[in-house]
Amino acid sequence: MSDRIPRVGIGGPVGSGKSTLIEQVVPVLAKQGYRICIISNDVISKEDAERMRKNLATQQKLLPENLVIGLATGGCPHTAIREDPSMNLALIDEIERDHKELDLIIIESGGDNVTTTFSPILADYFIYIIDVAGGDKYPRKGGLGIESSDLLVINKIDLASQVGADLSMMEHDAKRMRKEKPFVFVNCKSDVGIKQIAEHIIRDVLFEQPPKALLHQR
Amino acid sequence: MSMDDFADLSLMQLADSFFPSGLYTMSNGLESLYMQKRITSPEQVRNFIEVYFLQQIGPADCVALVNAYDFVEDNDTNALFDVDESIHKIKLIKEQRDASVRSGRQLAKCLTSFLRDDLLDKYVQAISSSKTPGTYPVSIAIAAKLFGIPKQKAALTLFYGFAVSVIGAALRLGILQHFEGQKILNELKPMIGETVQKYIDIPYNQMWQFAPQLDIIQIHHERMDSKMFIT
Repeated sequence: MSDRIPRVGIGGPVGSGKSTLIEQVVPVLAKQGYRICIISNDVISKEDAERMRKNLATQQKLLPENLVIGLATGGCPHTAIREDPSMNLALIDEIERDHKELDLIIIESGGDNVTTTFSPILADYFIYIIDVAGGDKYPRKGGLGIESSDLLVINKIDLASQVGADLSMMEHDAKRMRKEKPFVFVNCKSDVGIKQIAEHIIRDVLFEQPPKALLHQR
Repeated sequence: MSMDDFADLSLMQLADSFFPSGLYTMSNGLESLYMQKRITSPEQVRNFIEVYFLQQIGPADCVALVNAYDFVEDNDTNALFDVDESIHKIKLIKEQRDASVRSGRQLAKCLTSFLRDDLLDKYVQAISSSKTPGTYPVSIAIAAKLFGIPKQKAALTLFYGFAVSVIGAALRLGILQHFEGQKILNELKPMIGETVQKYIDIPYNQMWQFAPQLDIIQIHHERMDSKMFIT
């Protein structure tokens, strides 16, 4: 168990901004010295994994290219992260065997519905992301993702006025549905709210452990 | 509860698509053929599965399973690991090799969460230390032996699981509807029974597989940009 690398699962509907969130949060963590691997569960294509690899690995050089991995899920994104996460777990076994230097594994789910959750054997921490363009009713309607995730991220707040979404109502509903659990309003196209998400990961997933690379230097 | 009832229920558990082995992520090349419009009907799906049964699953995977089952019975881990290595090496396509060991390893790990057995522990440790690959047929053999499932029924499970995996992929690709899927499963039963009988006593040094066209299709699948399935 000591070789287990902490894992964050990110789920949410198609187009809610899962990949863009990863592209914003990883640089914040990497610049602090954390070494990260990304597994992108693809529903139909390798596009998300390839975009993240190009941006984060090839261009920004924040992680090696082979540590952004696309995984096909047979068209069953929720099964791959909950009922039968075998293929994700098998991949993680290989990563934990070959990359003990890593501080964090991020698992992106394929786009799914509001009942998305991660198996606790797969992810230690579950971020569920929705966007205001999906309608301001989302937090009020609830669902496993909205209610049980460790962190709810509400994305694309810059579009609220254009789609007629009432952010104060979304805030009120999120508080009511999630009780004490946190939520963050973000704009993944800028950096609004991104620092907060990185802080949640460092505090609640990494327990404020410094990066392994820094520990080894001491 | 009688031992027979326990074994029967265990067979259902192992053959159930609810059992976590990741088979639902595999189309075994069907996705490529569908995209190329070379398989578009339920009849063609059945033929596709039959070719796999006759040219790969029977002479290779099934032979590995029945030999592994015997070596578990004899508590001969060296021979068991040799079978594992052989079936791993005979798979020419990387996607297929990777899929087989990923399913096999997760199946074995799942068993350790509720079964206590020295041979199973040795197998999982050997996988962790890269002494054996941990292929799906060998893991199924170990599971079957520990559950008290007879060898012949364990072999039936292997074919059934493969057929369900391909038919499930065909359903999701829209090639057939659910009644047609069950019809194919029913039609495949005689061939499954006959193929198991044919290979149940074959030693693993006579293992073979020959399906070059399917191999080429799988190579093509490895290179597809847009895909739903791992294989």
